[in-house]
Amino acid sequence: MTFRKVLPPAITLFLLIAGWQVYTGVSGIDAWLLPSPKGIWDAAVEQRDVLGTHTLATLELTLYGLAAGVAAGVLIAVVLHLVPVLRAALYPLLVISQNVPIIALAPLLVIWLGFGLAPKIVVIVLVCFFPVAVATLDGLGRSDPSIADYLLMSGASRWQLFTKLQWPNALPAMFSGLRIAATYSVFGAIISEWLGSEKGIGRYMILQKSAFRADRMFVAIAVVVVLALGIFGLVALLEKLTVRGRRNA
Amino acid sequence: MPETLRVTGLDHHFGDLQVLKELEISVGRGEFVSIVGPSGSGKSTLLQLIGGLLEPTAGGIEINGADAIGRRGLIGYMPQQPALMPWRTVEANVVLAREIAGGSKRDSLARAREWLARVGLEGFARSYPHQLSGGMRQRVAFLRALISDQELLCLDEPFSALDAMTRADMHRWLLDLWEANRRAVLFVTHNIEEALLLSDTVYAFSHRPATVLERISVPFGRPRRAEVTDDPEFIKLRRHLTDLLTGTPAAPR
Repeated sequence: MTFRKVLPPAITLFLLIAGWQVYTGVSGIDAWLLPSPKGIWDAAVEQRDVLGTHTLATLELTLYGLAAGVAAGVLIAVVLHLVPVLRAALYPLLVISQNVPIIALAPLLVIWLGFGLAPKIVVIVLVCFFPVAVATLDGLGRSDPSIADYLLMSGASRWQLFTKLQWPNALPAMFSGLRIAATYSVFGAIISEWLGSEKGIGRYMILQKSAFRADRMFVAIAVVVVLALGIFGLVALLEKLTVRGRRNA
Repeated sequence: MPETLRVTGLDHHFGDLQVLKELEISVGRGEFVSIVGPSGSGKSTLLQLIGGLLEPTAGGIEINGADAIGRRGLIGYMPQQPALMPWRTVEANVVLAREIAGGSKRDSLARAREWLARVGLEGFARSYPHQLSGGMRQRVAFLRALISDQELLCLDEPFSALDAMTRADMHRWLLDLWEANRRAVLFVTHNIEEALLLSDTVYAFSHRPATVLERISVPFGRPRRAEVTDDPEFIKLRRHLTDLLTGTPAAPR
């Protein structure tokens, strides 16, 4: 990323925070209603040890959930790609399933699976698998027909067509799905922690909400944003290491 | 020793549409054979039959004396588009056909590098296809077919997408390479001059349903230079084939 690209949003963000600081100072609004950026910063510094524990717990949960979600998404894509009958039967249902609000489903998951790790992972999987499955399926179906033709003429089996052409061809598409899933995953983890947990940023948010500590809730939001950005960056790095050459040259 | 390719009485239909009719073609060991015909005359269908992707309605196909109908993996193939994998380096693309056949990876890579060096592409072994010019990509596609170690190479209009200068360049390149390392080649084209310049034997195909109008033995020796196109005999043959393929009454030979 170049300096010219980073500068405009950085300035915007700075002006926003400065305006916020000025507004809270001039209007004299109560801190429990809208804390000042300075107040939020102070709360973050004061709470840093507690936050560290909660953040680590959320990060761990997110990574497990994301990994499981991506695995599920890729598996679904591959199976639907290789078995057209299943694709015809399941793909429309998958799309419809995305209209079910996860937040409504979550309490049911707790009833079925208890308060342990399982329902939380399932929530994250439900949030993450879809973009990965759809993008990967799309990528698998979009390989260059002239290369497929070449492979078949050269005696490739259907499995070789998949491993040598369709799968590597789907990688960039899979990664664009993965990037979306990565940003959703933290949000999924927070919701799952609201279901009931001992630690985690979601748990921390609930505690601070009952205490009317708006400053600490803002801190929690900032942590969520940073976590999401970090995981996004990790995925981008992974993509850079995996995807080589230029597609569709 | 049997011929490398022998096609006998080959008929093919797509539904009610007859595409190929009683084709008789043979390619001897180390022989360069071209098929010229109008576009849409079923030349690509013939290659798909030889490649085992389709099964003919009637007739026989033998490769090295063995029945090859419906059997894949018996030919080296070079398509019209280079069809290189953009995510593979040049050397990784060159070994693809051997990889499909299940050969040792290390041997294949060594051979790919050796061949890339022999044709002056060693500096590009680790490049990606998009970094290469159109002519270079076709060279890579040809090497990929060549090192597949199949007795028979099938080339499907491999130079038709290149500009005239690059094409002339590729002709010289292919002649040098092939003359130094003879393999049976079945070369499909709609370019008459190209067919005469490169081949030992030229088959002229008719419009659909394709059948052999004439089989011509090209009377020029090897090694063959590009100047052969100025030879009066060459010009006469080219005229004759042009008349034959465009349907003008054939001039006396």
